[in-house]
Amino acid sequence: MKRPARLLFPVLLSVYVLAASSESVQAQTYGSDFHRVTVTVATITLLQTNIGSINLSITGSSVIAGQDLMTVSDQSSTLLWGTNSSGKKVTVRTNLAAPKYSLKVAAINPTSGTAASEVTLSTTSTDFLLNIGRSSGSCAIRYTALALASQGTGSDVHTITFTITNQ
Amino acid sequence: MLTAIIRSLRGQTLALSVLVIVLASETSQAQPVDVRGGNQTLSITTGFAGGEPVAVTNTNSALRYRRQAQTSKITVRTSCPGQNFNLSVEAQGVTRGVAAPAVQLVNGMLDTDFIVNIPNSGFRQTTVTLLYTASATFAQGNSAEFGNDVHTVTYTILAQ
Repeated sequence: MKRPARLLFPVLLSVYVLAASSESVQAQTYGSDFHRVTVTVATITLLQTNIGSINLSITGSSVIAGQDLMTVSDQSSTLLWGTNSSGKKVTVRTNLAAPKYSLKVAAINPTSGTAASEVTLSTTSTDFLLNIGRSSGSCAIRYTALALASQGTGSDVHTITFTITNQ
Repeated sequence: MLTAIIRSLRGQTLALSVLVIVLASETSQAQPVDVRGGNQTLSITTGFAGGEPVAVTNTNSALRYRRQAQTSKITVRTSCPGQNFNLSVEAQGVTRGVAAPAVQLVNGMLDTDFIVNIPNSGFRQTTVTLLYTASATFAQGNSAEFGNDVHTVTYTILAQ
């Protein structure tokens, strides 16, 4: 079947426009050069607290008459972290093997990850925050000291260590 | 007579050699745009708890370009399959033309203006410093898990 003559002109015109456009682009480019730039990111794991020392004191003012258990809490410190590895959590432990009084700790309002249940500090690392992999964030640290009136007076000094570790 | 011809030929050979050297020199300088300093590596190694890893910069490479017959510009693009981290480039010390703001280098990007309004007179060639800035977030991970980003960064000079 013969091609209708009226279609010939648009086809020729299209070919011409394409050729002209191609020549125009080539004529405008004078040259190019390249090099390779490599970006490497190390495994980074950071953890810090904003306060170096915290004191919890159980005094007469906070004691309820007739009740043996006395408590005091502190939520003035913050834990900050950053890790670019997946599958990480934060654990906590104390260096004090035989404390006279109990000291509990809990993560409050973490900006990422999940707070573990409040734990009584021991020399064994215990989960503090879970699922923090590849994030940066912060949470308040709540310490609660517990003493029985029957335990008498005294003091415990803890060195508390937070660690980012594999989950 | 023979000696004179030989001397003449020697002279022509010398002249020809000089011409070849000059032409070669012209040719070596004739690259319209030339990346200098070779391949580069930027390493992010530290950061801030509660913040982000610290960005790093690199100014160890340069771009040399020649005057063209018309007002021209230089564009930049990158190819980086599987890109995970951030890289930008900016021209520093531009005296012939106008440097664009820092260009984010993203795999598959179109040619993007890097230096514009390069005049067609008043200079023969000029060199500018390439300022690369690499950054990453903690959420973007690390090279041990995802590999390095290897960019092939291409600069093109063309009529504006």
